[in-house]
Amino acid sequence: MSNLQEKKTDPNQKKEPELKGTLISVFLVGAFIVISWIGVFVLFISR
Amino acid sequence: MGIAKLEDAKSSQSLPITKPESRLYMSFIHVAFISLLIGGLMGLLQTLVRSGKFELPWGIDYYQILTVHGVILGLVLTTYFIIGFHFALMGKTVGISEKQRKVTWLAFWVMVVGTIMTATTILLGEASVLYTFYAPLRAHPAFYIGLALVIIGSWVAGFVNWRQLYVWKKQNPGVKSPLAAFMVTINTLLWFIASLGVAAAVLIQFIPWSLGYAETINVLVSRTLFWYFGHPLVYFWLLPAYMAWYLVIPKIIGGKIFSDSLARMSFVLFLFFSIPVGFHHQLTEPGVDPTWKFIQVVLTFMVVIPSLMTAFSLFATFEITGRKKGYGGLFGWFKHLPWKDVRFLAPFIGMLAFIPGGAGGIINASHQMNAVVHNTIWVTGHFHLTVATTVILTFFGITYWLVPHLTGRKLTPQLNKLGIVQAIIWTVGMTIMSGAMHIVGLFGAPRRSSYSEYGGTEQASEWIGYQLAQAVGGTILFIGILLMIYIFVKLTFFAPKGEEEFPIAEEEEDAEPTPAFFENWKLWIAITIALILFAYTIPFVDIIQNSPPGSKPFDFPIGR
Ligand code: HEM
Ligand SMILES: [Cu+2]
Repeated sequence: MSNLQEKKTDPNQKKEPELKGTLISVFLVGAFIVISWIGVFVLFISR
Repeated sequence: MGIAKLEDAKSSQSLPITKPESRLYMSFIHVAFISLLIGGLMGLLQTLVRSGKFELPWGIDYYQILTVHGVILGLVLTTYFIIGFHFALMGKTVGISEKQRKVTWLAFWVMVVGTIMTATTILLGEASVLYTFYAPLRAHPAFYIGLALVIIGSWVAGFVNWRQLYVWKKQNPGVKSPLAAFMVTINTLLWFIASLGVAAAVLIQFIPWSLGYAETINVLVSRTLFWYFGHPLVYFWLLPAYMAWYLVIPKIIGGKIFSDSLARMSFVLFLFFSIPVGFHHQLTEPGVDPTWKFIQVVLTFMVVIPSLMTAFSLFATFEITGRKKGYGGLFGWFKHLPWKDVRFLAPFIGMLAFIPGGAGGIINASHQMNAVVHNTIWVTGHFHLTVATTVILTFFGITYWLVPHLTGRKLTPQLNKLGIVQAIIWTVGMTIMSGAMHIVGLFGAPRRSSYSEYGGTEQASEWIGYQLAQAVGGTILFIGILLMIYIFVKLTFFAPKGEEEFPIAEEEEDAEPTPAFFENWKLWIAITIALILFAYTIPFVDIIQNSPPGSKPFDFPIGR
């Protein structure tokens, strides 16, 4: 029943996928969070 | 090296779902959609009342409809849909035995009896205590007993899920559990551990007190137990949406799961950090030591990690799939996404809504800054983004394939198009309603309040325009609900017979094997309990030791 398939490739040869867009997208999400937070923080301080 | 790796299960985990199974899963989903209609109507009425242009007929009280809305949408719709979805995932990946199915029917009926008891008391005006049922407001005992039955039924359903995985693991030693089954198990664990808190409050405090056996109730203890449950509750809603994002969306866009291990890790982190954090709902509560509030705020912020892990993994799935299809450039991959497929579009809008939803959550939890928004309608705006958009639109996205899959019908191109219209209507309506709530909340407009001019103060007069906007948004949303009900009825009873796919994605071919420690459930449970004990023991003992006298029940101004 065991199912040891030969599917492992050499990890060193594996090409890393290109994830530039992902990186920038996550940064944009982070920036949105920070900006919103600062917005309300300013309101908090000014009241 | 050193880390044991798990064997992959036979690549496609896809068991057929039989007729009797379908009937069981659909029963849960039916209750969810009936709830959507009733609860949505109440939501519409609330916004109309608050606009000042409309009054409820027949002496119906505002808090009566607000209780219906909160209980039926926040507690009933969500729990039933989630259990139905959980079972569908388990049935598809690890299977269900006849006996397990029978026990689940028992769970279903216990929950239905409880739901009917609770709903009846609310509709009779005997339980206008809102879905948080804060003491010392008192409801009819049947309200609490019904809630207890719903919780107990949901536990039985969860135990069946655990049993399903256990049996499967016995039959497949050394094989990693299917990702779907792993996620369902995490979510049912989360639900069980968390709902022990409300169950304790309801059984030990509320039921004896509402029956008159106990004269007084410890208000702070009851609120603390409620919020011990109340925050994990929102993750219990959210994790099924994440399941769809991790498992289903990659398949629909023609891609693979970015990383099985990352998905498992993020679910484990959600289990750890969604329970020991309830104080962030009690930041203005006197009687809780500020040090412990601070500690729980820090623990709250830990969920940022799995949340951003999820965001990263989703973007990566989109980008890798797009690049494989030959779309280059920094954001070229965006174009390949199947915008005209409602099974993708509705959950995708849900993901987008979670960006402002999550940002708002971080603001709410920021201890001192909570004072800016506490008990304002901003909070209502916040969770209509998170639960009423992110979660609900994802559930709608699931409905478009799950329901026809279970009823042996097809999502026709015409219904797909209607679904897209539905998603757009929801987006427009919610942007208006939730946007207005956020803004006017920052101006101090309160939540949980019927229309009032507040003695003619100038500040309150600034709010009314936003309340009108909420009524406009609420009306659009209600149209969206009617359309969704129409689509649901079509998919259940009338759409042409056929076979609809149950989309579950597979991992990338050359993915690293998943480490074996993920199957170490004892470890995950032990860490979860240790974190809870750390965050709650000292402040809870402090609360009990320094409690003011308990409170007699109040039936006024709201209650019964
Ligand atoms: C037609 C769509 C909807 C409309 C117009 C609507 C409107 C509203 C309004 C105006 C309130 C606040 C009332 C107040 O604080 O006085 C509210 C509260 C609430 N809504 Fe909705 N809503 C809708 C859909 C949903 C959905 C789909 C969910 C959940 C899945 C939901 C969950 C809740 C909850 C839990 C509350 C809090 C009740 C409370 O404070 O006790 N709503 N809704
Ligand atoms: Cu919370």
